[in-house]
Amino acid sequence: MMEALNGLLTGFGVILTPANLYLCFLGSLIGTLVGVLPGVGPLAALALLLPVTFTLSPIGGMVMLASIFYGAMYGGSTTSILLNIPGEAASVVTCIDGHQMARQGRAGPALGIAAIGSFIAGTLGVVIMTFFAPAIAAAAIRFGPPENFALMVLGLVCTLFMISGSTIKGVLMMALGFLTAAVGLDVVNGRERYTFGSVDLSGGIELLALVIGLFGVAEILSNVETMAKTTLLADRIRGLWPSLADWRASWRAILRGSGLGFVLGLVPGGGPVTAAFMSYALEKRIAAQPDRFGKGAIEGVAGPESANNSAVAGSLIPVLSLGIPGNPVTALLLGALIIQGIQPGPLFIAQRPDLFWGIVASMYVGNVFLLLLNLPLVGLWVQFLRIPYRVMFPVVLLLCVVGTYSANKNVFDLWVMLAFGVAGYVLRKLEYDLAPFVIAFVLAPLLEQSLRQSLVMSSDGAMILIKRPVTGLLLAASVVLTFLMFRRRTKTEGGLP
Amino acid sequence: MFERALNVFWVVLGAASAVYAWSLGMIGPAGPESGLFPFIASVIVASAGVVLLLRPATVAHAPDFPRGGGLWRVLGVILGLIVMAAGMPYLGFSVTSFITMIILLRTVDRSSWLSAVTLAFLSTVSVFWLFGSMLGMALPRGPWGW
Amino acid sequence: MPWSLLSAPAGAQSDPKADLAKLKPKDFPTQPIEFTVVYPAGGGMDVSARLLAKHVENLTGDRILVNNRTGGAGMVGHSYLATQAKPDGYTVGVVASLLWGDAMLRAQGRWSFTDLEPIAYVNSDALIWVGSTEGPYKGMSIKDVVNAAKDKPNTIRVAIVPGSMWEYILDQIEANSGAKFLRVPFQGGGAGITALIGGNVDIAQGFYSEFRGHLEGGKVAPLAVAAAGRMDFLKGMPTFNEAFGSNEYLWQLVRYAVVPKDTPADRKAYLAAAVQTAMKDPELIAEYRKQGVFFDPKLENSKNLAADLNAYAEVERQFYIKTGRLK
Repeated sequence: MMEALNGLLTGFGVILTPANLYLCFLGSLIGTLVGVLPGVGPLAALALLLPVTFTLSPIGGMVMLASIFYGAMYGGSTTSILLNIPGEAASVVTCIDGHQMARQGRAGPALGIAAIGSFIAGTLGVVIMTFFAPAIAAAAIRFGPPENFALMVLGLVCTLFMISGSTIKGVLMMALGFLTAAVGLDVVNGRERYTFGSVDLSGGIELLALVIGLFGVAEILSNVETMAKTTLLADRIRGLWPSLADWRASWRAILRGSGLGFVLGLVPGGGPVTAAFMSYALEKRIAAQPDRFGKGAIEGVAGPESANNSAVAGSLIPVLSLGIPGNPVTALLLGALIIQGIQPGPLFIAQRPDLFWGIVASMYVGNVFLLLLNLPLVGLWVQFLRIPYRVMFPVVLLLCVVGTYSANKNVFDLWVMLAFGVAGYVLRKLEYDLAPFVIAFVLAPLLEQSLRQSLVMSSDGAMILIKRPVTGLLLAASVVLTFLMFRRRTKTEGGLP
Repeated sequence: MFERALNVFWVVLGAASAVYAWSLGMIGPAGPESGLFPFIASVIVASAGVVLLLRPATVAHAPDFPRGGGLWRVLGVILGLIVMAAGMPYLGFSVTSFITMIILLRTVDRSSWLSAVTLAFLSTVSVFWLFGSMLGMALPRGPWGW
Repeated sequence: MPWSLLSAPAGAQSDPKADLAKLKPKDFPTQPIEFTVVYPAGGGMDVSARLLAKHVENLTGDRILVNNRTGGAGMVGHSYLATQAKPDGYTVGVVASLLWGDAMLRAQGRWSFTDLEPIAYVNSDALIWVGSTEGPYKGMSIKDVVNAAKDKPNTIRVAIVPGSMWEYILDQIEANSGAKFLRVPFQGGGAGITALIGGNVDIAQGFYSEFRGHLEGGKVAPLAVAAAGRMDFLKGMPTFNEAFGSNEYLWQLVRYAVVPKDTPADRKAYLAAAVQTAMKDPELIAEYRKQGVFFDPKLENSKNLAADLNAYAEVERQFYIKTGRLK
C-alpha cells in the first residue's frame, strides 16, 4: 500500500514536466479526434503515430500512446450519439440509446454523461491499477482457454438479454454473427473456411468494415431516404447538462460499468469492445423497466461508456505487469516499448519504476485533460447538428470510407462495408436488431478457439470445464442466467418470440 | 412480401451453409473440427427462418421501402460508394473521392454545380491533409502521384 | 549518425550517405515508400521492420511508412505483395521465410515466392523451446522432456501455431524419437508463452524477444534452440542438433526485404543499397541484438542473396514433400 503511494509519487514526479504534460495533452487531443472520426480507432492511430515516438523519450512516447488509447474511448461516443454512427467499435452500443436521446433533444446530457462517466471509470480504473496491479496480473495469468470459454459463453448469454424485439430474430442474428466470424482461417488448425478461394476473405471480415457498414452506411442510407428535414435535430436541443434525474439514474450504471469494464479489460481477448457490449446487456437486464432501453435510457449510455474506459486500464495491467498483451492495441504498446529497447515482463515494475509509475500517473492526468477537453466540446458538437444534413452526409460518408480503409489499407474492406451497409439498411426496415449480430461476431472466434483448445489440453475431455473452479462457476452462472431470461421473457412479453 | 422473401433467404442460406460446413468435418480425434460450429450456426439460421415463415408477420407495419425520390437518393449513395471502392486503386483517393462527392452532392442532394464542386474539393483536400499529413496515413495515389 | 564520429582517412572510407545519394534515381522517390509488414503491429516482424525503416529513413532522408497488411496469418499480405503491389519501387516488403510455406502450400499456383525479389538480408530468429520454472517438468533438459513424452505419450502439452514450423519441428521430433506430445493450438508464439506461464501448457515455442522479459523474471527456462549453433545471448542452451546428434533440426525465421519483380533496376538497386547500408549501422545491429535475433553468416556475406535464400527454401520444400504436405 505504502509502496504503491511511493510509486505514484515517483510517477507524478516523472510526468509533471512540461514536455510530458504536453505529450499527454497531445495524445488526449489526438485520441479524442480519432474517437470522433468514424472508423478510425485507437489501433490505426497508434500504428500510424508509432514512428513519432522514436524521437521521444520512452516515457514521453508511452504516455502519448496510452493517452490516445483511452482518449479514443472518450471521443467515440460523439458521433454515436449525434449521428447514430459509431466513432469506433467500442461505441456501437452507445448509438442505441444515445442517439435516441439526441432525437429527444437531449444530446447534451447524453454527451455530458458519456464524458463524465468515462472520467469516473477511467480514474477508478487507474486507482485499482495503482494498488493492485501485480496481484491482479498474477491472477489474470491463470486465465486459460477453459476460463476464456466460460466467459465467452456468459457473454453470449448476456447478449440474449440485449435482444430487443423478437427473440427468434435475435437468435438468428447471433447465429449469423457466428457464421460471419467463421469466414477466414480456422485458427485451431489453419484451414480456410468459407473463403471460396478468395485471398481477401482468407483474412476474415474486418470488424471495423462490418461495424461502419452496418451502423454507419446503413444509417446514412436511412436518413438519405427520408431527407425530409434539412437539419437533423437543431430545433430540439434542450439544455446541455445532465439533470439531477439523469444523475440519479446513471451513477449506479457508471459504477457497474467501471467494475465490469475493468474485469473484461483484464482477460485476454477482451477489451473495450466486449466491455461496452456486456455493460449494456447488464444494464438492460438489471433495469426495473427494460423496455426503456432503445428509447433513450441514459443508463444505456452511462454504463457502456464507463465500461470501455475502465477496460483500458484493465487491459494495461497484463502488459505492464507481465509483458503480456491481451488485444491488438496493447500488443502495439508492447511493441513500442520493445522498439525503445525496453523489455516489459514481470520485472518491469521493479526495473523501470519510473516508466511504470510514470504511465500510471499520466493516466490520472490524462483523464482530467480529457474531461476538460470533452465537456466544453459538448456545446460545440451539438452545434454540428445545425449543419444541413444534405451537406454533412457526403463528408461523413467520406470519413466512413477513409476510416474503414485505415484498418488494413485494403480496398476489399470498402466492399465489405458497402455490402453490410445495404444489408443493415434492409434488415433495419424488417425490424432486425443488429447489435446481437455484432457481438456474436466479436465473441464467436474466441469462444470456439477456447473450447477446442480446452478439449485438446484436457486429459478427460469436457470434464475440464467443470473441474476448473472459475470455469465451472462461470458456466453455472450462464445456465442460471439463461433460465432467468426465458422466465422473464415469457412473463413480460406474454410468450416467447 | 419482403419479409417472406427474407425468411426464405434465411432458410436457403442456412441450408447451403450447413452443407458446406458438413464437408469441412464435424468431429475429429482432437474434438470439434472446422465444420462443427458453423454447422450448428447454420442449422440455427435455417430453423429460425422456418419458424419465421410459419408464423404470421412479425413486423409491426409493412416495411416502407423507398419509392421515387427516396429510392433514387439511396441508390445514389450506393453508387457513390461503388465508385469509391472501384476507383480508388486506379485513380487514387483524391480523384475518386472528388468524383464521388460530386455525384453525391449533385444527385442525392441536388446542389448547384458551384457548391458541389467547392464542397467536394474542400472536403477531399482536408481529408487528404488530415489523414495524410497529420496522421501520416498513406491514402492511395493515382497515376498522377497524388 | 555514428559515421559522423569517425574521421575518414582520406580516400579510404567514403561517406555511405553520399554513396547512396549517388545511386538515387531521378524523380524517385516523390512520395513515401511503403514498408509492408504482413503481421500485426507490435509483433516481432513489425518491430524489426520499424527499426529498419527508422534507420533507412535517417540514412536516405526519404519518407518511409510502415504499413501492416494483416490477415490470414500473413497470406493476405503475401498475396498483395506478390500479385497486387505495383512494381514501381514504392513498395518494399519486409518479409519472413514463412512466406515460402505460404507460397508452396497455400498459394495454389497463383503466385510463387520468386515473384518477390530479395534485395537485402535483415536478420534471423531461431525457434526456441521453453519450459516453465514451476510444475512437474521444471529443471528438465530437453532430452529429459522428450524421454518423458515417450514414456507418457499425449500428456505433455506443447503450444503450437498450426500450419508452420511450430508444428513441423514436433513432427520431426516425434518421428525420430517415438515421443508423442499433446499439441495445443494458439494464434502465435506469444500466446503460447502466456499459456505456459499460466500453467496451461507445459512447453512453449517462440523467439527470444517473446519471452525475454519472462526469462529475466524467472518464469521460464529455455530448453533448446533449433539453429546450427548456440545463441550468443543464451550460451548455456544447447541446440536441438547437439542434444539429439542430428542436423535436421533447423527452424529459423529469416527476415529479408523484397521488392515485387519487375521493379525498375535502378530503383531496385537504390533500395537494395539503402537497406544494406542501414544493416551495417552498428546502432541498428545493437538494437537487433537486443531483440535476440542473430545474423546468419551465410546470408550476411552472400554474393547472390536470391540463390542462397532459394537454397533454404528448397530445403523446406523437401521437408514438405517428405512429410506428404506437398506432392
